[in-house]
Amino acid sequence: MAAAAAASIRERQTVALKRMLNFNVPHVKNSTGEPVWKVLIYDRFGQDIISPLLSVKELRDMGITLHLLLHSDRDPIPDVPAVYFVMPTEENIDRMCQDLRNQLYESYYLNFISAISRSKLEDIANAALAASAVTQVAKVFDQYLNFITLEDDMFVLCNQNKELVSYRAINRPDITDTEMETVMDTIVDSLFCFFVTLGAVPIIRCSRGTAAEMVAVKLDKKLRENLRDARNSLFTGDTLGAGQFSFQRPLLVLVDRNIDLATPLHHTWTYQALVHDVLDFHLNRVNLEESSGVENSPAGARPKRKNKKSYDLTPVDKFWQKHKGSPFPEVAESVQQELESYRAQEDEVKRLKSIMGLEGEDEGAISMLSDNTAKLTSAVSSLPELLEKKRLIDLHTNVATAVLEHIKARKLDVYFEYEEKIMSKTTLDKSLLDIISDPDAGTPEDKMRLFLIYYISAQQAPSEADLEQYKKALTDAGCNLNPLQYIKQWKAFAKMASAPASYGNTTTKPMGLLSRVMNTGSQFVMEGVKNLVLKQQNLPVTRILDNLMEMKSNPETDDYRYFDPKMLRGNDSSVPRNKNPFQEAIVFVVGGGNYIEYQNLVDYIKLSQLGQK
Amino acid sequence: MAVDITLLFRASVKTVKTRNKALGVAVGGGVDGSRDELFRRSPRPKGDFSSRAREVISHIGKLRDFLLEHRKDYINAYSYVMSEYGRMTDTERDQIDQDAQTFMRTCSEAIQQLRTQAHKEIHSQQVKEHRGVVLDFIEDYLKRVCKLYSEQRAIRVKRVVDKKRLSKLEPEPSTKTRESTSSEKVSRNPSEDSEEKPVTEEHPEKVPAESQPELGTWGDGKGDDELSPEEIQMFEQENQRLIGEMNSLFDEVRQIEGRVVEISRLQEIFTEKVLQQEAEIDSIHQLVVGATENIKEGNEDIREVSTLGPPGPPQCGTESRQQRSSCWQGGTSALLWPSPQGSPPDGAGQSHFDPRQTPDPRCYQEP
Repeated sequence: MAAAAAASIRERQTVALKRMLNFNVPHVKNSTGEPVWKVLIYDRFGQDIISPLLSVKELRDMGITLHLLLHSDRDPIPDVPAVYFVMPTEENIDRMCQDLRNQLYESYYLNFISAISRSKLEDIANAALAASAVTQVAKVFDQYLNFITLEDDMFVLCNQNKELVSYRAINRPDITDTEMETVMDTIVDSLFCFFVTLGAVPIIRCSRGTAAEMVAVKLDKKLRENLRDARNSLFTGDTLGAGQFSFQRPLLVLVDRNIDLATPLHHTWTYQALVHDVLDFHLNRVNLEESSGVENSPAGARPKRKNKKSYDLTPVDKFWQKHKGSPFPEVAESVQQELESYRAQEDEVKRLKSIMGLEGEDEGAISMLSDNTAKLTSAVSSLPELLEKKRLIDLHTNVATAVLEHIKARKLDVYFEYEEKIMSKTTLDKSLLDIISDPDAGTPEDKMRLFLIYYISAQQAPSEADLEQYKKALTDAGCNLNPLQYIKQWKAFAKMASAPASYGNTTTKPMGLLSRVMNTGSQFVMEGVKNLVLKQQNLPVTRILDNLMEMKSNPETDDYRYFDPKMLRGNDSSVPRNKNPFQEAIVFVVGGGNYIEYQNLVDYIKLSQLGQK
Repeated sequence: MAVDITLLFRASVKTVKTRNKALGVAVGGGVDGSRDELFRRSPRPKGDFSSRAREVISHIGKLRDFLLEHRKDYINAYSYVMSEYGRMTDTERDQIDQDAQTFMRTCSEAIQQLRTQAHKEIHSQQVKEHRGVVLDFIEDYLKRVCKLYSEQRAIRVKRVVDKKRLSKLEPEPSTKTRESTSSEKVSRNPSEDSEEKPVTEEHPEKVPAESQPELGTWGDGKGDDELSPEEIQMFEQENQRLIGEMNSLFDEVRQIEGRVVEISRLQEIFTEKVLQQEAEIDSIHQLVVGATENIKEGNEDIREVSTLGPPGPPQCGTESRQQRSSCWQGGTSALLWPSPQGSPPDGAGQSHFDPRQTPDPRCYQEP
């Protein structure tokens, strides 16, 4: 997660992709250019990288007629150049060699998502020779794009094998050294690609004794090696000059998930975080199952099939951009407002229609004509805008309704409020046991989450008797108690380290059950759902970032190690050489971040830009 | 930043070649290999489709180049006074227009042909899709080039219309008009925008107005050089009035012109939308026709059922009803058995044999 880079990482990645699709030549828009056509072949990794950034229409604009998976059945299409965008794995290489042998396409532009090894390159060379297709291989590139950008300022490592780099993979007790190495290598590779695309060499800071430290050491080593190799360095020349206007280098903060386990378990309340938590949301695409209303279907008729709909939440969607960090009740209100303004505009267009209809009957209306043609033109030209607006409103209405249904069914607002109270150590009005034993409120998973947060944030562990009581209640509710075991162990470790992270003072103020939303009789009947407002707080991750960026002295972060790949001699000290505060930072959580933290960081940026703290 | 490792690749190829030679492995770099290569190259059909597609593209490219080349001359409306080399007569312009139009028509026909052919040939789904998209690209290209053409044509038409309009505003007889139009042209030369036309237009208006007392060919005697001051004043007043009238006329005409332009733009948008919806409307039409057919058939079936509703011959009695109910179950199952008290048009509970009704043949088939 980067903060305000000169050209956002999303733009850079998109530009890189477009250049790749244009046969590795920078793309220039020419309105009277001849069409060129090509075929795009990708593997699942490539698909995940491209899909949040380029829509099918944009692919068409770049001249791509077909986009196919590498490992699918593909027919030969002669006289067409093919652009490949794949990871350099064994199977992919085999399949590509097979393609070469089968002469599927006219020319081949091979692009590897991360760097390919020499031996694999020779494999391809071998196959090309065997197929007498060496001249057909027009270009081979290492793209260094092995990360997925979801937002202007947020990226994730991967989607396909995210299990590999998940918290569980890193922290499970039975992990072997070699497996750990593989995981670390994957992470470092992606981070390296990220910095190559960003065109900057960061200063790295990480906490000691954690997985994050391992990552930092490896990353530092890799960057250093690359910088030393003057001939092939990726960080010289155009890349730096074009992109970087600030002479400051960015700060990379590597934190381990273990410093704060409560936030990922926390129930969410902002729009984007809720969509991710509650609905099926991946790579900016949300899949909804619309259940048709319960109707009196005739006896014996087949049950109505639920429609599956999927929506893309893109940067073009202005409503999404504005409201993805807002608390949910606000979102509901805004959707209402948008709907009303859309209806007003629609009515105006309809009114014009009736005026036009009058004109034929009444000659006196001809004098109105002068205004009306202008009005009509503007109305007609605004029609596409109106339609787009309607589409967005429909989209968000559906999504928000789905989210609301979940909230109501699982009483997520209650959970959220309670957890906030626990995490801020204010007094609890309801007993935890009550909530857990309540059959209506939430799935077993929700209850487990709540309990774990309680356990994590408690200053001292609950007594054995209490614990047994809780355990019984949880098992009654259908929860699996394994997570509890793990958290117990974790807490034991964490006790040896610093005190459990505090979450600052937060209060959630319920805005009353009857909000304006209900009074206007909107679709979003938030009856019985508390209208909670978030007060600004700083999560542990944000605090760490704040300290490091502003070079504040704080017992938590003073101990962090300091790496500067550009320095000649590797230096183990934790005394930063650079005394100036940083302007740009990238926060990476080894073990997975979440939308709550992302939102918190974004809010922190906004606040600091406004000059408040 | 992406790294170009093509050279590395070529180097690897060389390495592999030398390695294979050293190992004595015939990797197809031998005699067989070259034969294979030739083999593979020649019977590979160059692809009728793609070669023809490229031909169409090169044609369109030629058209585009041609239009761009002559664009400056075409647009330049005041070529009389400009340099000799930039001239283009109207006939030449018309020629260009016509040529361009025929060319565009042939291109779009060629695209259509390609499309039908591509659909006819049996190929895999992927190839079909690919060809469809390629043809879309070519059509798009043609549209863009046509836009070039229509833009410059629109400018030219507008200029012609303006010219005609201005020359019509002169109310004097032909001799005067000829002189005045020539003076108009002279005065119009420095300006190219229509916004500046009213300024220049007033100038030629004044020129003939001033030339009137000088030339004095209008009804006055040739030798009479002087006009009395009252007449001069009268003439001047009339001139002013005429100028005022002409100006207001001109304003109105400009407004109308603006509106007409807007209307034409709206027309364009509407035709585009209607064309887009054409396919949908056709399909809706088909569906509706089909639906009416189905409804008609359904109605007929219902009528059949209802006419056979009440029991027929008296022997049948209740049995007939049962039989008929069993008969009818095999028939149109969607219809409910009309209750004897209900619908049959002949009246309820008729127990005598009604010759009007055709007894249901199926009834008597039951053993």
